[in-house]
Amino acid sequence: MAKRTLPRLLQTPAVILLLVWMLVPLGLTLYFSFIRYVLNSLRRPEWTTPSFSNWRGFGNYEYVLNAKDFWFAVQNSLFIVGSILLVTVVLGLALAMLVNRTFPGRGIVRVLLISPFFVMPAVNAVLWINMILDPVLGLNGIAVEGINEIVRGLRDFPVLGAFFSLWPEFEPVSFRATQTSAYAVIMMVTWQWTPFAVLIFMTSLQSEDESQKEAAILDGASAWSRFVNLTIPHLARPIAIVVMIQSIFHLALYAEIEIVSRGNGNKNLPYLIGEFTSNNIGAASATGIFAVILANILALFLLRIVGKSLMD
Amino acid sequence: MATIDQTSKFGKIAWPVLAWTVALIFFFPIFWMVFTSFKTDADAVKPEHLFFFTPTLENYANMTENYDYWRFAINSVITASFATLFALVVGVPAAYAMAFNPSRHTKDILMWMLSTKMLPAAAVLYPMTFLTKNFLNIFDTHFLVILVLCLINLPIVIWMLFTYFKEIPKEIIEAGKMDGVSTWGEIKDILVPLAWGGMASTALLCFIFCWNEAYWTVRLTTTEAATLSKLIEGNRAPEGLFFGRLSAVSTAAVGPIVVLGWFCQKQLVRGLTFGAVK
Repeated sequence: MAKRTLPRLLQTPAVILLLVWMLVPLGLTLYFSFIRYVLNSLRRPEWTTPSFSNWRGFGNYEYVLNAKDFWFAVQNSLFIVGSILLVTVVLGLALAMLVNRTFPGRGIVRVLLISPFFVMPAVNAVLWINMILDPVLGLNGIAVEGINEIVRGLRDFPVLGAFFSLWPEFEPVSFRATQTSAYAVIMMVTWQWTPFAVLIFMTSLQSEDESQKEAAILDGASAWSRFVNLTIPHLARPIAIVVMIQSIFHLALYAEIEIVSRGNGNKNLPYLIGEFTSNNIGAASATGIFAVILANILALFLLRIVGKSLMD
Repeated sequence: MATIDQTSKFGKIAWPVLAWTVALIFFFPIFWMVFTSFKTDADAVKPEHLFFFTPTLENYANMTENYDYWRFAINSVITASFATLFALVVGVPAAYAMAFNPSRHTKDILMWMLSTKMLPAAAVLYPMTFLTKNFLNIFDTHFLVILVLCLINLPIVIWMLFTYFKEIPKEIIEAGKMDGVSTWGEIKDILVPLAWGGMASTALLCFIFCWNEAYWTVRLTTTEAATLSKLIEGNRAPEGLFFGRLSAVSTAAVGPIVVLGWFCQKQLVRGLTFGAVK
C-alpha cells in the first residue's frame, strides 16, 4: 500500500488547481449575490465597495426574479438551445446515415462536413451576419435582389407578364432585429454543431451490429422499421450525450450573441449577466447563481450517463 | 457472411450525389470566406463581381496594416501553446495516478473534475475581473490568459489522457514496478513512449479549444494579451465596406486550425464525449 501513496499524490496538483478555480470565483459570486454592490452610485457611495454591512439577503434574487429582462433571457436561452438541439440532432442523424456507407470520395465528404466545427465562434458569427445574412450586401440580399431582377424581367413578356406584374417585390429579411437575430444565432450555431452530432453518430453507427441488421433484412423488415427498431435504440446513448453536451455549451453561448445582437434586445442568460456586470454586481451575481443551478440540473443527467460507461 | 446489398441502381448514384451536395453546402460558408478574401473591398460588395473578379492578394499583404494581425496571432499562439503545455504537465501525472493507481474515490474525482467544466463561465465573470484587476494585477496579461485557458481545458485533458492510459495493459506498468523503477521512471520511460499518440492528439485538441475560446479571451483582455478571437470580435460590424479584408483576416485566423482539425476527428469524439461513445 505504501508504494501507492506517491503515485496517488500525483493527482493533487490538478485537484487543487481545479478546486481553487471552482471555489474562489464561485464563492465570491455567492457572496456578492447577497450584498448590495454597484460599481457607480453617487447617492449611496458605500455600496460601491463589497462589504458585509451592505447585506441584502435574498433581495438581489428577488430583484432579478421580478426583472422582465431575466424571464425574457431565460425564455430566450431555452428557445435558442432547444431549437439548436432539435435541428442538430435530426439533421445529424440524417447526415450520419447518409455518410455511413461507402461511396467515392467519402473521406473528402467527411472532411468537408466536419470543417465548420473548427471555425472559431467569433469568425463564425462575423462571417454569417455580414457576408451571408446581411440584407443588402450579404448573399441573402444579393439572392433576393436577383429574384426581383428575374421577376422584373418576366414582366415584359406578353400574357405571362400580366401574371408576374401581380407579384410584389421581395424584401430580404434583416437578421439584426431582436427576434430575427435569435434565428441568425440559431442558424450559425446549428451550422457549427451539426458536424459534431454527425461525427458522434457516425462513430456510433460503425459499432452497430451488422448481422442483426442482415437478419432483419432477411425477415423482410423495411428500411424504415430497421431504422426505428434497430438503429435508433442503438443510438439512444449517443443522442442523449449530444443533447446534454450541447445544452451545456449553448446555455453558455456568448460570442455569437455579442457579435450578432449587441444591444438589440436579443439576450440570453450569459449576455444578461454581462449587462448587469456593467453596474449592478449584486444582480449579476444572483443571475449567475441561477445560471449555475440551471447548468447543474443538466450536468447531473450527463454525469450519470458518463459515469455508467466510465469504469467498464 | 456476405453483406446483403439492397441498394438499387438509382440509389447507387443518388446517395453519393446527395452526400456530396450536403457536404458542399456545409463547406460553402468557409469556401465563401476564402473566396471573398481574394476580392478587393470594392469588388466584394458588388453583385456583378459575385463570381467573376480579378483575384488579388492585397488583403493578405495589408493584414498587418489593417488589423495588426500578427500581434494578435502571436498572442494566440503563445497563450494556446503554453496553456496546452501546462495542461499536459499537470494532466499527465494526474491521469497516470488515476488510471494505474485508482482508489475508491477516483471515479468521484473524475466526475467532479468534469463538473467544473460545466460551470457557466458568465456566472463568475465579475469575480474574475475583480480578482485579477484589483488584487492580483494580472488583468490583460499573457499569464492570466494562459492560466484560464489551461484551467478550463484541464478536465477534458485529464479525461482524454485517462481513457488513453486505461488502454495500456496494467501488467506493463506493474512489470516496471517489479524491476524497481521509480514512479518518475515509470512515467518517463514506460508510459510516455507507450501513450505518445494519445498524448499528441490530446495536446492537439486542447490547442484547438484554446485557440477558439471566445469568452474569457474577450472579457479578460484589452490590448496586451488580446487573441484572435478578440480581434475578430472587435470588428464585428464592418458596415459592409471591408468584406474583402475581413475575409482575409478571418481566413488567416481559422485556416490553420481547421486543417489541424481534419487530423483529429476521431480524437474529437473521445475528447468531447469523455469516452462514453465508442
